[in-house]
Amino acid sequence: MFRRRGGVARAVVLTALGAVLGATGACGSDAGPGQPSQVTIRFAWWGNPDRAEVTNRAVDMFEQKNPDIKVETSFAEFNAYFQKLATEIAGGAAPDVLQMDYRYVREYGDRNTLADLNDGASKVDTSGVTQQLLSGGTVNGKLYGIPPTQNTQVFSYDFAQWEQAGAAAPKEGWTWADLTASAQKVSDFTKKKVYGLGDFGGIEDWFEVYLRQQGKTLYTPEGKLGYTAADVEKWWQMTDAMRRSGASTPAEMTTKMDGSQQNDPVFQKKASSGFGYDSGFTPKTWELLGREFKLSPFPSDTGKLGQYAKPAMMFSIAQRSSHKEQAAKLINFLINDREAGKILGMSRGLPANAAVRDQVGATLTGPPQVGFQYEQTVGPKLEPAPPPPPKGAGTVKSTFQRVYDDVIFQRGTIAEAAQKFMTEAEKAISAG
Amino acid sequence: MAQQTLEPTVKVPGATRARGHAPYGERPAIAYLFLSPWVIGALLLTVGPMLASLYLSFTDYDLFTAPEWVGLGNYRDLFSDDERFLAAVWVTTRYVLISTPLKLAAALAVALLLNRASRAQGFYRSAFYAPSLLGASVAVALVWRVLFDADGVVDQALSFVGVHTGGWVSSPRYSLGVLIALSVWQFGAPMVIFLAGLKQIPAELYDAAAVDGAGWWRTLRSVTLPMLSPVIFFNLVLETIHAFQAFTAAFVVSGGRGGPVDSTLFYTLYLYLKGFTEFRMGYASAMAWVLVLVVAAVTAVLFRTARLWVFYSGER
Repeated sequence: MFRRRGGVARAVVLTALGAVLGATGACGSDAGPGQPSQVTIRFAWWGNPDRAEVTNRAVDMFEQKNPDIKVETSFAEFNAYFQKLATEIAGGAAPDVLQMDYRYVREYGDRNTLADLNDGASKVDTSGVTQQLLSGGTVNGKLYGIPPTQNTQVFSYDFAQWEQAGAAAPKEGWTWADLTASAQKVSDFTKKKVYGLGDFGGIEDWFEVYLRQQGKTLYTPEGKLGYTAADVEKWWQMTDAMRRSGASTPAEMTTKMDGSQQNDPVFQKKASSGFGYDSGFTPKTWELLGREFKLSPFPSDTGKLGQYAKPAMMFSIAQRSSHKEQAAKLINFLINDREAGKILGMSRGLPANAAVRDQVGATLTGPPQVGFQYEQTVGPKLEPAPPPPPKGAGTVKSTFQRVYDDVIFQRGTIAEAAQKFMTEAEKAISAG
Repeated sequence: MAQQTLEPTVKVPGATRARGHAPYGERPAIAYLFLSPWVIGALLLTVGPMLASLYLSFTDYDLFTAPEWVGLGNYRDLFSDDERFLAAVWVTTRYVLISTPLKLAAALAVALLLNRASRAQGFYRSAFYAPSLLGASVAVALVWRVLFDADGVVDQALSFVGVHTGGWVSSPRYSLGVLIALSVWQFGAPMVIFLAGLKQIPAELYDAAAVDGAGWWRTLRSVTLPMLSPVIFFNLVLETIHAFQAFTAAFVVSGGRGGPVDSTLFYTLYLYLKGFTEFRMGYASAMAWVLVLVVAAVTAVLFRTARLWVFYSGER
């Protein structure tokens, strides 16, 4: 009896001791013994491992040039990244430097969670970036995000397979019907081992281009929805027909798409073409895809392209960061440093800094060069980007994809799904 | 021995006054001292946040700016203006009703098998318990997702016999079934408790039953199950509550979305989505409190019915 109690007491003391030691251990590593002035900042972004590889190399170079700053990096795919970011910011543990999306910048900026990058310790040199791009990160006169790059929407296809299947390649002035016909040819040719097209009906970004081709917008300048249920219905009817005929991927494949390469039918060689942004090209892209792709602008029925030069993403600094100065230094380096630009290449899109862009363009080879050339050809046709979307836009985007599952799994009619989406989208916007 | 070493270190104010009862008077102080890590933890990490969430459930709170009082607005919206909420309730109800009995049946069956004296018993017990140790972990859910995915092991194996689903986890018809299977597979914890319960049943009852000529089934029904009923009840309550709170598996398997077509939208997952991706923490708090009340009500009902079928051998 006594022995047992003694044992318990000992265990408690040991546990307590362990906890105390653990705590001091943690403090020790944070301060960096021997280098009292070293500051650790955290930098997080969304993307795939190939983007991470080049980003980490650029960060390593930054650390070499700034021995007093240590950068801890982390990344996740788009959806997971924003889920985590919301939790971290709410909990006061946001990364110092974070990658922000055009769609969320107002959401976070308006709620006073991002620092103004034009003012105070968090000021960054933006002289090399065009005003046009900077306006994408400006909300109520404050610069909450600096786009390091610009991108635009792109259609990419496995040209070798298309040629084999006898599918007509995209050309100037091609239409949505042309796309359907070509995709069908590929599916038929491979006996649906590879589908002609990844089903893109649930992705609001491509719907936006379709809207703009008809002179509409995703959001009005007042921040209301710029389209009606009829527009959504028409779009989904088109994409649903592609799925039914087997031109695009079946529901079970489509529902898994989450922005990551492992769940993308194009990367899995289950689809031979798809829509995307031209901001993910790294020297490894063809290797990851297992074949080479060609790029083309979107198809259109109206003669209007509808694509625009988008801030591919932004770098922001958390309002609660206690190392704003160092965070600004890192952003400054990533945006304006030529050496960093060389390493990063096209991994986030076309560099926003004109000087870096010209220099990068001259040195590119492989997939990044294909992306760069696409930007050069399509660039003159691009429209300016719309203002940052209203609060709740992130929820609208995810709702669009979720309700599209109702369409592909045939729960109710397409008109019902479109109406359901509109109701939820309007609620999300007004709640924001 | 322990007393001797502890006594001099603890000085209780007023201990001299109660000298006659000193050994007893000091013990509560020591007890509280040793309890304090738990008490502090419970107050700061459980009771405090619970009260905060109760308050937040009556507010409109977006995580970043100050909460705004809206009275019962969140609760009203939940029941009148949210189809997804109803979907989440339906998914969770089905999960609780199906996975809990299956899991308990599996646990009891394996416990009965393991209860026979055997040299390898220790090995089997550990082997069957292992999945529960890994239970709540993300890694297992990930493995499960890969197994049941299109071209996964399960899909390929079943393709041989002509069953092709195109991926179990990405089909709204089967995805919940995959999660139920995962839960049933993790029957180790109730199994160990059942095993302990089985060991407590006096051997003379079995001897008497054998003398009376009772077969295996008769013995099970008339001796084992009644004698085990308190343990069954305990496991039932615990597993029901766990099932209501299920989150990790659904989050991982559905990629944090509860899809396809909300077929794996567990209550807690929807709560999380509302709070952390739509920034409606007040609403999410209201959902949490509805869940607390429902779980409390279900537990109360279970305790009521317990009188009808739980047999305590000490009772007269």
